[in-house]
Amino acid sequence: MMTDYLLYIDPGSGSYLVQVIVAAALGVAFFFRNIKNSIKAFFTRRPKEPNDNTRD
Amino acid sequence: MSIPYFQHPSSFRDPSGFVFEKDNVVYRQVNQVYKQHFDFFIGCGLYEKLVKEQLLIPHQQINENLTGSNDRYATLIPAPVEFISFPWEWSFDMLKDAALLTLRLMKEAIASGMILKDATPYNIQWHNGKFIFIDTLSFEKYNPDEPWIAYRQFCESFLSPLLLMHYSRQSLQQLCVAWPEGIPLTVTRSLLPWRSKWSFHTYLHIHLHANISKRKTNKTGTNTKFSKQKMRNLTGSLEMLIKKLKAPDMATAWSEYYDEASKRNNYLEDKKRIIERWVDELPEIKTAADLGANEGEFSEILALRAIKTIATDSDANCINKLYNRIKSAGKKNIQPVIADLSNPSPAVGFGNTERSSLGTRLHADLCLALALIHHLVIGKNISFEMMARFLSGISKKLIIEFVPKSDEKVKLMLQSKKDIYSVYTKESFEQAFKKHFRTEKQQDIAGSGRTLYLMQRNEE
Repeated sequence: MMTDYLLYIDPGSGSYLVQVIVAAALGVAFFFRNIKNSIKAFFTRRPKEPNDNTRD
Repeated sequence: MSIPYFQHPSSFRDPSGFVFEKDNVVYRQVNQVYKQHFDFFIGCGLYEKLVKEQLLIPHQQINENLTGSNDRYATLIPAPVEFISFPWEWSFDMLKDAALLTLRLMKEAIASGMILKDATPYNIQWHNGKFIFIDTLSFEKYNPDEPWIAYRQFCESFLSPLLLMHYSRQSLQQLCVAWPEGIPLTVTRSLLPWRSKWSFHTYLHIHLHANISKRKTNKTGTNTKFSKQKMRNLTGSLEMLIKKLKAPDMATAWSEYYDEASKRNNYLEDKKRIIERWVDELPEIKTAADLGANEGEFSEILALRAIKTIATDSDANCINKLYNRIKSAGKKNIQPVIADLSNPSPAVGFGNTERSSLGTRLHADLCLALALIHHLVIGKNISFEMMARFLSGISKKLIIEFVPKSDEKVKLMLQSKKDIYSVYTKESFEQAFKKHFRTEKQQDIAGSGRTLYLMQRNEE
């Protein structure tokens, strides 16, 4: 359920829809990036980089 | 019951609470409507963690209901912010760091089961030598049924100006004045070069975002789960993109100023010595404004003496360099601000009161106006009298440098300009300033023909 009182900024009529699409595209992109990184890590024998760049 | 208090004119959008001032103290009221989010924010330890890492302004909670309002849930006294600045006064790397700070907070919030419900640069201010998030009421509980509500706001107010500056290699802070709520995605999309579409993340967050946002849809947000991983991917992608963006670091007329100036017979050293001596004799000075600060060489003299200094320059590249120096050296007392004194930041937003003008914000105990007057008087045809009046509105003490017409730099300026400045003399300068200031000290700078004055404002 949406809590109306907190929607004081206009998220944009299509902004929710775009996030669903963007998140899906990023999901695919980061999935392949992780595979690429693990292959790279296997050959270079260096510790794997944070895969989704969400850590510091 | 009504109790007199002053609600801050920019604090009206978010019903969760508001900022108000009473007896010169700034408070933030938390309203009942935000109660569950606020309790969760404090209870889950996120507040403590963010304050400890100096990402969020600390506050003190008090029990009195100072506004007398029935909506009140809590009242906070946030640590004071000395000088409020706006994104059009920030250099590229400042805006970039503000954007990265916002994303960092979003990541920390997600990890604690919360999100940032808004993502605007106005929530970020300068505090103790770096940017810090000031809006304690921006955090709300994560709801798996909703995507990131502030996504578009982030893209328009942070990503758009950064991308436009990155691709055009121009300083475009003025665009933020034109669109204080963020540059619309359709505008950004049409200003960006076509090749920007080749950047996967730029394509997603700007081009695709602008295309889809235009569509009218009635099914927004219904029956769509938006997992924390999706939130992390979204912020991660924005972070990756922003980290790669580069400041437009073109060499400007001012970027080599000190190298060049120092070659002039001990000019800089002598000037520094005089200013140091004068400032040391003024222990009452706690704050200063260094106008036309360039890369802040003289601001540092003040900063070293624990004087909180606002270093302004109209050149965005100089301010960017100064910012990066402050950041890497961890200097605390200098705040870099882009300001063109011939066209200072205007008051914008609702009723022209939401974001105030530079003139209403810029006040200090001491003002430095070094090698500045000829640029404004000869460069912009602003009279000595106008300058004196303007400077008297900033501070009581003034250190000002007079640059005579015989000076190399002035000659250079007059090469491409008709000399209509017959009144540009030391005598008329002194005469004009006499109306607003009295000269306390005066000294020539080693063989340069330039003169430094220490002045005290005439009080009516």
